[in-house]
Amino acid sequence: MPASANNSRPAAKRGWPACEPVDAVNSSPEQPAVDAGWHRVHPASPFVRGWVALVAVVVFFGRDIFERALQGRELIDHGLNGRVLWLLAGGAAVLLVTVAGFILSWYFTRYQLSEGYVRVNSGFIFKQQRQARLDRVQAIDIVQPLLARIFGLAELKFEVADAGESAVSLAYLPLGEAKQLRATILGRAAGIAPGPGPASETGTEAAPLPEAPEHVVLSVPHGRLVGSLLLSEQSLFVVLGAIASVVVSVLTESGAVMLYLIPAMLGLAAAYWKSFNKGFNFTSAISPDGIRLRYGLLDTQAQTVPPGRIQALKVSQSPLWRIFGWYRIQVNVAGYGGSAGNENAARTTLLPVGTLNDVMLALSLVLPDPGTADPVRVFTAALNGLDSDAGFTITPRRARLIAPLGWRRNGFLATGTALLLRSGRWWRQLVLVPHQRTQSMALSQGPLARRFGVADLVLHTTAGPVVPRLIQADVDEAVALFDQQAARAREARKRQTSEQWLAEISRAGSLPVPATAPVNDTPPQEEPHHG
Amino acid sequence: MPTTAIDPPGIEWQRVSPKYVTVCLVGWAAGNLLFTALLSLPLVFVLLGWWEWPPLWLAIAVPAAMLVLALWRLVLIPRQVRAIGYAERDDDLLIRRGIFFQRTMVVPYGRMQYVDVAVGPVERALGLCTLKLHTASPGTNALLPGLPAAEGARLREQLTARGEARLAGL
Repeated sequence: MPASANNSRPAAKRGWPACEPVDAVNSSPEQPAVDAGWHRVHPASPFVRGWVALVAVVVFFGRDIFERALQGRELIDHGLNGRVLWLLAGGAAVLLVTVAGFILSWYFTRYQLSEGYVRVNSGFIFKQQRQARLDRVQAIDIVQPLLARIFGLAELKFEVADAGESAVSLAYLPLGEAKQLRATILGRAAGIAPGPGPASETGTEAAPLPEAPEHVVLSVPHGRLVGSLLLSEQSLFVVLGAIASVVVSVLTESGAVMLYLIPAMLGLAAAYWKSFNKGFNFTSAISPDGIRLRYGLLDTQAQTVPPGRIQALKVSQSPLWRIFGWYRIQVNVAGYGGSAGNENAARTTLLPVGTLNDVMLALSLVLPDPGTADPVRVFTAALNGLDSDAGFTITPRRARLIAPLGWRRNGFLATGTALLLRSGRWWRQLVLVPHQRTQSMALSQGPLARRFGVADLVLHTTAGPVVPRLIQADVDEAVALFDQQAARAREARKRQTSEQWLAEISRAGSLPVPATAPVNDTPPQEEPHHG
Repeated sequence: MPTTAIDPPGIEWQRVSPKYVTVCLVGWAAGNLLFTALLSLPLVFVLLGWWEWPPLWLAIAVPAAMLVLALWRLVLIPRQVRAIGYAERDDDLLIRRGIFFQRTMVVPYGRMQYVDVAVGPVERALGLCTLKLHTASPGTNALLPGLPAAEGARLREQLTARGEARLAGL
């Protein structure tokens, strides 16, 4: 048995992630090499996750007694003696089964970090084994819902590029352990900690790596967050709705209209609260592991997006935000997917509200090498500019009939490393796509656009809030860009071939924070200390 | 094949099989004729005197309009099929389609995640297949219908081989 198991191991390493041989678990005693370093999540985690179910069971079966207790009557009605007992017994049984299920699910959920892979086994009736390659990591999130936070627990989400659910979600680990695991995963994925060699394979589990030093780059002050919420489009509707309701109530001379507004008010308050809760204390930091985002009031979340994992970026500014010069940045990351919803909207936000300076900082994190000699001028023109300042190519003047406002603003500019697409006169928008992240492109032209000699160019990127689209560009320019961009993307991809980003960054010497102790100084030989 | 304004210069377009027109015709008949027939039901009922409403002119106008639209689409089909083209370049595949609404798309080989070959019942009878390229982007809608089966298989092998050679992750 050990022989056959050993034979199957190299195949498992080479093979498709899901094809881990089943015996890796079943034959655990004979297989110390693979079985080493299996961990369980925190024992309390099923209760933290499933407390709603427990509370529901207790409330459902115990309601009768609670009510009696509240009313000051005898706890058990003599007339219904038998029934109540049955009810209680049933409640206890359901509770017991639920708790047993929790414990079993906890017992059978195990994870392991081994050479180049993270593996998770779960389920006791329907078993699931999952294995994901570390160097395919697109992002790692540490999420702490309120209850988990009270207990000092955290969920670790490991995202790969399938735009669906998280590839690996470990809920819950003690916070310190989660951070440690994140550091180890990122370290391994970055290539600074080579997986344990054949010799040390037997004993080595996830050799602890020091957490990469980070350097806070920008944060959002509370006042600005509140201001940004007050100046959102939502608030415009609130003001309009308030005016309308006052007018209506004056005209009809009745206050009944106000009553109908209560549910709307509650809904709005909830929406504001969600945005506030998600945007609170937003900090963005840079570390050799990538960009770190941290935010949340009650539920906190810490995201780490390794360098080069951002597929596309959008800077937008609504007319109201122009008063204070605020911008929002959203990104496409392959692992986060494109599903709508509050949770995902927060995850894909790189900067909820920031000044021009903050935007420049954030852009410098995403694009350490802007590819132009004068990035500030180029990006300022991209964010606020009109016409062809800083070298933008805009919609030709002849097309101003179909783009009366936007024609001076719609434009593109290709720097050495990224394509900038600018649009929107009132709702200003700048989309940035790094050259090596272009997936495919399509040039399209309808009859009206043909009449005006313009065409649209769509750059396809992974699912997310950013949809890069160059609108109404001159046909010749668009075709030229289409061709050149294909060549540029090809060149950029040739330059960047490794998935292990740290090697490249140190080679390029463009790490944005050389001041803080870089991880390159963390020598690989430190590993045996922990191993 | 005529080159239009939005095509990159100097491309030798390959056309899909003219037999694909038949596939489109079957699809057209299944969709439009059925729909027109459904819309004609009120006319039948009105003529039979079962229904008082709608007035006769409306009962005639709606299916007639639908029929005109369907016939218009029918006339367009052969031209649309002729407008579908593809070209294999050294590093990417170009796909174009459309006459009124033209679209030219470029899919780099290194960006392909997988290639689908699908064959429907009508296509099988005619010895055709549909090739679909998938990249990491859901926006890549690179559909190449109406390829002869042999050409489809050749293209699939070619694309995967080139994709492997130029594999570039995400």
